[in-house]
Amino acid sequence: MSVHGCQHLSAFKAAKGTDPFRIIYSYFIACPSADARRIKAKSCVCHTCRQPTLRLHACMYCIYFGCYGAKHIHEHAKSKKHNLAIDLTYGTVICFSCEDYVYDKDLEDIARSFSQKPSLNLVSEYLKDPFSSWEPSEDELQLLKKNPKRRKVDAKSTVGLRGLINLGNTCFMNCIVQALTHTPILRDFFLADRHTCQMPGESKQCLVCEMARLFQEFYSGICTPHIPYKLLHLVWTNARHLAGYEQQDAHEFLIAALDVLHRHCKGTNGMSCSNPHLCNCIIDQIFTGGLQSDVTCKQCNNVSTTIDPIWDISLDLGPGPPAFSSHSTPSPGGTGFTNSPGNYEPTSLLECLKRFTRPEHLGSSAKIKCGKCHCYQESTKQLTMKKLPVVACFHLKRFEHSTGYHKKISTFVSFPDELDMTPFMSSSRNDNNGFSNQIIQDMPTSLSCDNKYSLFAVVNHCGTIEVGHYTCYIRLHKDQWFKCDDHMITKATITEVLNSEGYLLFYHKQILEYE
Amino acid sequence: MADLQERKIKDAQMRATINQKLVETGERERLKELLRTRLVECGWRDQLKAHCKDIVQQKGLEHVTVDDLVAEITPKGRALVPDNVKKELLQRIRTFLSQQSNI
Repeated sequence: MSVHGCQHLSAFKAAKGTDPFRIIYSYFIACPSADARRIKAKSCVCHTCRQPTLRLHACMYCIYFGCYGAKHIHEHAKSKKHNLAIDLTYGTVICFSCEDYVYDKDLEDIARSFSQKPSLNLVSEYLKDPFSSWEPSEDELQLLKKNPKRRKVDAKSTVGLRGLINLGNTCFMNCIVQALTHTPILRDFFLADRHTCQMPGESKQCLVCEMARLFQEFYSGICTPHIPYKLLHLVWTNARHLAGYEQQDAHEFLIAALDVLHRHCKGTNGMSCSNPHLCNCIIDQIFTGGLQSDVTCKQCNNVSTTIDPIWDISLDLGPGPPAFSSHSTPSPGGTGFTNSPGNYEPTSLLECLKRFTRPEHLGSSAKIKCGKCHCYQESTKQLTMKKLPVVACFHLKRFEHSTGYHKKISTFVSFPDELDMTPFMSSSRNDNNGFSNQIIQDMPTSLSCDNKYSLFAVVNHCGTIEVGHYTCYIRLHKDQWFKCDDHMITKATITEVLNSEGYLLFYHKQILEYE
Repeated sequence: MADLQERKIKDAQMRATINQKLVETGERERLKELLRTRLVECGWRDQLKAHCKDIVQQKGLEHVTVDDLVAEITPKGRALVPDNVKKELLQRIRTFLSQQSNI
């Protein structure tokens, strides 16, 4: 195996130049246009057996395609003494005299120039950023030389685990910081150094920069607890309502933190071209989902749809209104799912989600003006997920602030470590109000993994509505769980996690779509 | 017997048509990209890469050809592809074919 070509290839290049390679590459491998693809589809068959086989190779000397598996290209090379051919799948050159593929810098440069060519074409979208391994640039090589220490991350390493000192009732912040720093995709973003500060000159005021520093601290390998005083100060200055040493709500902090991060990300970050209303900052890319609300007029069945961006899904606990009539089938295998009025208390995340996405009758006191019949009518409203976020945070409303009384709901609500959101998608919504029950029943066997999530962090609250303490479970690697209690980190099991009370549940999409 | 022969020819024609459609529309490249991503995500690529490295180290860089590597890793590579990746790809191909009216 040679890295610098071979004498046969050098002789070929000296005699004929690189044009034969370039032509074959552009017409049959890069295929930048629909025309080229049509030609490729028609002509890419073995000239001997007439089959569109795998590993088809093209002779570099004459017009001949032959398959590698049945050795037709080998026979051709031998009989015609044409010893060089190109693999039509990958564009690599094989030399039959050397009996192996050869790698030549000139040819690789040509191949790269094709794959980097911007094109409006559909197919070449993937070519703009083809799958290729990382090649360090000059600067990066320098940096690597300067920092010779390497840390290997394997399935048992605990890099990324670090306690956080409580700065005076700041456990509400610590648990969210733990959840955020262990959000896989957010971690990848920050550790890849992808943030460019949008507040030049005052980067000390930028919360995103502070997050970047925090990630550096967490993944530096240091085990002693970190003191997040800078972060706290930034939070105090940017979210005034959280300032002071009082106990705060972790959910409120999460939303405030996301909001400040989102604001500090913006600036010249630009807008996503596909949707001008949607920001393409890292926070929105990860946390923003689309909540669809369909209001159906009872009179004319006209449906008016709105889609709102959301960062989290807040779910009601405790007894709620009775289920809507068209959706009264108890969930298969569900526990304690009753529909009798006033006694509808969800005991699992799925039940909460079912309640959340159930059509709701807006009574006669809440008439809405229908766009079609132009008068105020009774209607039903249903919420569904139009677009799923990469990271879904579920907020179980354990703190009830009703008129006159405040209380905490400590009911156990079970939640799975793997969650399929398919039944709660807008696409699963039936036209005649509500979901088809079939979809919900088919759920466990659902083939596609597109809407599947894995649990990676759980924030818990113990105590009462007035005083209490927040802790957090976080996942490392695929299945290692740890409990973070301010500066203390202890190993935990998935059973412990799933049996915990659960206040904020963080799920990560299993499979990411590429835009 | 004649039936079987006929069927074989028909199958081959169908395969050629499908292949042509996949290439023409660019779907083949998209499927390849999807497969590539999935294999990276599930660790398949890393596993195979490590295996290849072992082989190269064992035999010495000068004494190993691509053919040798392909022969050695193919059985392992095939066996290691997770079922849900295969299923997803199959589903995608099915969906694609059902959208093609003129096959």
